[in-house]
Amino acid sequence: MTRPILNIEHLSTCFRTDRGTVTAVDDVSFDVFPGETVGIVGESGCGKTVTSKSIMRLLPPRNSFIKPESRIWFRTPSLRAEPSEPSRTDAPTDPSHAEKVPRIDLAHADERFLRGIRGKHIAMIFQEPMTSLNPVFKIGWQIEEALKYHTQLGASDRRARTIEMLRLVEIPNPEKRIDEYPHQLSGGMRQRVMIAIALCCEPSVLIADEPTTALDVTIQAQILQLMDNLKRRLGTAIVLITHNLGVVAQVCDRVLVMYAGRVIESAPVHELFHAPRHPYTQALLGSITKAGNKQHGKRMPTIDGIVPSLFDLPKGCRFQDRCKFKQEKCASLEPGLESAGDGRLVRCHYPLLAEHSSQLTLGATR
Amino acid sequence: MLTRLFKSRGVGKFLRNRLAVGALVIIGMYALVGGFVVLGDVFPGKAGISLKEVEEPIGPPINFPGFLERAKPEKRAEVCRFYIDEFKRALRSRDPDARRENLKQIRYAERIAAPLEPEALDTIRENAEAIYDELSESENLDTDPAMLPVIEKLEAECAKFFAPITGWNKVKHDLRWSLGTDRQGRSNFVRGIYSIKVALAVGLVVAFISVLIGTLLGASAAFLGGWIDHAVVWLYSTLSSMPELVLLAVIVYAFSGTMFDRASSPWLALIPVYAAMCMEFWIGPCRVIRGEVMKIKELEYVQAVKAVGFGRMYILIKHVVPNTAHLMFINFSLLLIAAIKYEVVLSFLGLGVKVGPSWGRMIQESTPEVINGFFWQIGWATVLMFVLVLAFNIVADALQDAFDPKHVG
Repeated sequence: MTRPILNIEHLSTCFRTDRGTVTAVDDVSFDVFPGETVGIVGESGCGKTVTSKSIMRLLPPRNSFIKPESRIWFRTPSLRAEPSEPSRTDAPTDPSHAEKVPRIDLAHADERFLRGIRGKHIAMIFQEPMTSLNPVFKIGWQIEEALKYHTQLGASDRRARTIEMLRLVEIPNPEKRIDEYPHQLSGGMRQRVMIAIALCCEPSVLIADEPTTALDVTIQAQILQLMDNLKRRLGTAIVLITHNLGVVAQVCDRVLVMYAGRVIESAPVHELFHAPRHPYTQALLGSITKAGNKQHGKRMPTIDGIVPSLFDLPKGCRFQDRCKFKQEKCASLEPGLESAGDGRLVRCHYPLLAEHSSQLTLGATR
Repeated sequence: MLTRLFKSRGVGKFLRNRLAVGALVIIGMYALVGGFVVLGDVFPGKAGISLKEVEEPIGPPINFPGFLERAKPEKRAEVCRFYIDEFKRALRSRDPDARRENLKQIRYAERIAAPLEPEALDTIRENAEAIYDELSESENLDTDPAMLPVIEKLEAECAKFFAPITGWNKVKHDLRWSLGTDRQGRSNFVRGIYSIKVALAVGLVVAFISVLIGTLLGASAAFLGGWIDHAVVWLYSTLSSMPELVLLAVIVYAFSGTMFDRASSPWLALIPVYAAMCMEFWIGPCRVIRGEVMKIKELEYVQAVKAVGFGRMYILIKHVVPNTAHLMFINFSLLLIAAIKYEVVLSFLGLGVKVGPSWGRMIQESTPEVINGFFWQIGWATVLMFVLVLAFNIVADALQDAFDPKHVG
């Protein structure tokens, strides 16, 4: 079995605010294996974006911090050539493992070291392609800039590689487009350029923070298709952050469902969609609207209530106020993330039974 | 970046503004003249206008009017009297060598003593003096029409003192005299033209350095935040709480008695003016660019380049600052005007330009002339300054209209 390229253990990210310290991401753990796509879904404000920015360590140190017990282990063979931080690096102790790949803790690595990781080993693309490119520079220049920083390629090689990248992300006529400015491109084209910048140094992990939210539906599908193709070609692992369950179903291998800063369910995508175990997941799936079903005249299915404020979390389960299956125990004791078989994890005292939940889900969506 | 600038809609919009293009042409002419004057510092005596040439009298130390007004008979007689006395002094000596030497000393720009024997010149002087004596019969030359032919005769006689000037020299001579002379006999026209160099030098240097300082401080304050931001904001709030002119005057005054005060080079002597204005004028661009950078740093492309792995300083210099270029342009043009105006004000107060002329000094020196109804010096200095400042104002306005993102689109 291959080792995970990224394993996040007990990640907690806190913000200092005027009303006190708030934990936006609370004890999140998950693994990302090479070449796989992990989806993180949840409502607005559940901590998806903070999780991704914590992995990249892009949050402002002035008002945020990662708790000391958090670990973001990143493991890549090419790291051996890098000047690594000895204190936080540990070689695998398992002598039977032939490949001694060191791993490094990004959660507490220093800024200098992180700059060598960002873009080269872990790249990120953002939600808003309209503002993610610098308006005063040509797109070719912006791709070459990343190559210049992370590789030793000469000027002509860089240009050739840039054209190759633009072709890879299916931009027509790349020789001409390379000398255009961002304002001359459409939103979909700009997102392709962003993907080209992210992938030009062949990172092992690509974090995509709602990459298709700002695009219209036909372009969304193209971009997702493109990311999927590139993943297969370059073997890049993708962490896809989205609130669109349709996108998750289309491209992800495994899914993490987050609620109020916590992972509440983790499962392979097929199992999750067919038999959600957590009431929240089930309700979330139930609220997907579908074209052509018999819902005329009915209200759209929604989840009642609102997400609890992070300043004022209830004792016990965080979903209790909105849960249809709430019992006494839910109000007093917060459930742990327990295994639910088949590599699934669920944070619920009374997880839904497979048959039961699938019926409910299907009933709601059909 | 430049090619994009020229292709951009802003430039097209600017070029469609005819008034602004006209103003730009005028500024271009000023720049050409200023450049021509600078040649005088590089090749003194060969090209351009040197400081020596500006400070030399081109005639008697009398306010002599320029075009539009014929000099009054009294003044014309006075001028002739001056030349007669000048030659009398030169020819007083009995020694022929000393006489020749003295005659060589007589030189008013293009005009030199006629290449005649000293004896011949002495005869001219005697004739002129005889004619001058006729004038003493009149009580008031200005109101006595009978004396006009005599004065003309006297002027014709005095003209023989000097070698005739021809060709290019004649043009230069006429230009020099076109706006009359000040009370030291220096050409108003040349002094006004020379001051273009001073004004543009002060404007360009001050605007460039101020925008540079303002951009660096403003951008780093906004981008880095924390104590740097506090320090910069504190500094510009403190400086801007004082009246501009008072602060400028105090800073320039603080330089008095230093080497710059005694410097004979016009460039060195300007350093206190540069220093004072740069200390004051960086506030404007700093404030504007700090605000802009605060906006830019929250934009996603800054996050995006951070995710590519670049350091903070690289992002600031390479990605954030170029996006404030339009503000730099506008601030540059505004500061240029402010610097030119304040140079004139400071020079008027005797604190600014101390070596060589400047519009401020010309205006200050013309105070007693204005009382006597002599407006050439103050008029010329004011017109030159007015046209330049107006042109810059129009261009700055048009720049703002053309490049302000709120109006584009």
